[in-house]
Amino acid sequence: MDVTVAEYIRRTVLKIPRDEIKTMLQKWGFLSETQLQTVNFHQIKENISQDVVQLCEENSADIKQAAVLDIIYNHIYPNKRVWSVYQMNKTGEETEFFDLTDFKKKFKRRLRSALKNVTINFREYEDNAVWIRIAWGTPYTKPNQYKTSYVVYHSQTPYVFISVSVLKSNLPLLCQALVVASNYHDIREMELRSHSLNSLKDIVFKRYSQNFQTYYPRPLQERNMAPESGDLRIIQENRNEKERIQRVNQEVFGDGPQPKLEFAQYKLETMFKSDPKMDVLDEKEPFRCLVKFSSPHLLESLKSLAPAGMADAPLSPLLTCIPQKARNYFKIREKKGFFPGSFVSP
Amino acid sequence: GVFAHLEMLEARAHEAAVKQEETEQQEEKLARLKARVQELRLQRDELRAKVDLQQKGQLGKEGVVSDPAQPSARAVLEWKIKSVKAMLQVFYLTGISGKLTKRGVCFCISTAYEGTYLDSYHLDLLTKAEVQIHRHSVPIFIPLEQIAKKYLQTDIRRFLSVLSDHLNAYAGRRYQADQLQGRFSNRIEGTLQRNSLCNLLVFNYNVSSKSKTFPFNARLLYGDLCCSLPTEVTVSCTPDAPASLAEMAAAHSDLFRRVALHKAFCSFSSAEESVD
Repeated sequence: MDVTVAEYIRRTVLKIPRDEIKTMLQKWGFLSETQLQTVNFHQIKENISQDVVQLCEENSADIKQAAVLDIIYNHIYPNKRVWSVYQMNKTGEETEFFDLTDFKKKFKRRLRSALKNVTINFREYEDNAVWIRIAWGTPYTKPNQYKTSYVVYHSQTPYVFISVSVLKSNLPLLCQALVVASNYHDIREMELRSHSLNSLKDIVFKRYSQNFQTYYPRPLQERNMAPESGDLRIIQENRNEKERIQRVNQEVFGDGPQPKLEFAQYKLETMFKSDPKMDVLDEKEPFRCLVKFSSPHLLESLKSLAPAGMADAPLSPLLTCIPQKARNYFKIREKKGFFPGSFVSP
Repeated sequence: GVFAHLEMLEARAHEAAVKQEETEQQEEKLARLKARVQELRLQRDELRAKVDLQQKGQLGKEGVVSDPAQPSARAVLEWKIKSVKAMLQVFYLTGISGKLTKRGVCFCISTAYEGTYLDSYHLDLLTKAEVQIHRHSVPIFIPLEQIAKKYLQTDIRRFLSVLSDHLNAYAGRRYQADQLQGRFSNRIEGTLQRNSLCNLLVFNYNVSSKSKTFPFNARLLYGDLCCSLPTEVTVSCTPDAPASLAEMAAAHSDLFRRVALHKAFCSFSSAEESVD
């Protein structure tokens, strides 16, 4: 077995949390159950990885098989990478049939015709998602297994999720191969980025909770305003306002959990408005500034702003439009015309 | 002088205040009395009802027993709510229901296949100027934009009908594929290759004949997105298989075109049982 492959497998195993190593190796399926029985998974990870490499040596693992283990790891822990969303366009109206074998063939052929030194692996999952792992080389060097890009594509959708890590120069090539393989015409990057791959999918596939008004008799959920059967001497002075805030919040954010985004960034190119006497950049040139909201879970924190009393309800549409507009990068320019305000560029 | 004037104004204000207080007190008293009248009327009605029942000899226990022929206001209201809910449920069960909103209308398309209700999808339409889709929960692989471009502005009924056909057919195809993977996983060799729209299925399955099993490969193409049956079916067996098997492959191919996938597999199982 190649020394580089052995080292790669060893490092991949070291990334996995100790309690998960056995299950992941089972999912991998490269080592037999009897072989796995011989490994003590309670020892320190350093030793576990050595044992695993030893077993892989017995089975003569090659880089393709090692790459599959890497895909499995990234599929279970996708949040360790930053994902961007790309949107593809096509003009035709023919029904798409999406033959997986055809897709894989076209992708490999297109990519390899431009760059021979690449390792390409595919893995399909139950939710119609195809995971593609690409390790990049150069025309003169072998693929570097530590410089990988990941692509997640759901058949018959115009969206592709790409995690590039390094070597952004290979991005155009990757995009081209995707467009050709999926029978689209062009591709562009959306202004949507996050660590949470599933949340990005929820946003563009419209799987997040939207509050639609229907007559469908859903069972009435327990309101948060449970009657305070406690001390009757305590009166809620702002009960009406609290209920209004709850209602408005529910209309805007829906009932379910919000997609997980880490930040929203607003680039302002608007005029600074001040008292004319102060003579501070007044209407002379745009006041350029960048506003960035960061949070472990931005949308949930926005949802809790009004109930916590930290902001007025309803919140600014610039904040609440994030899932619907499927973007978390905005450019705000001056609205031309009678009423200077701000408008969001598409 | 000024003081005298001020005194006079003060006196006037005082008088006005006193008068206002009087009128307020009068009103309060009136309201209290009216409420008392209501109370007494209610009591009188209850007692009357009691007396009536006593006279009819139906009073078995304490308290007011309402006459079943004259339902109380509360019972009527409950019945009204129940029947409205039932009506709404009926509309929902027809598959397309809607609710007017401030800026337009919100539609709910529910899908079903063979008597099983499946997912529901929503469309929030704006109707003020031209008809626009504000938000929706239709899966991204359904050609919503195409259908909207054709029908939304001109014939909204047709738009909903075509969209409903697409969604129901998709739900039906997915249901069949899920059934195949779930109930007949022991007959499928390897993985069932499918896609988001479930309009192309490729799989290998086992057929037993004369106590031997043979692998068949099936490729089902659903060319019509509004249909839950395939338009093209290719069933093939290995080249060295006996001739009778080729006939069987052709028969299966025909069956898949006419009958739901899981039902076809049901019939295979029962056919084999009857032969053995």
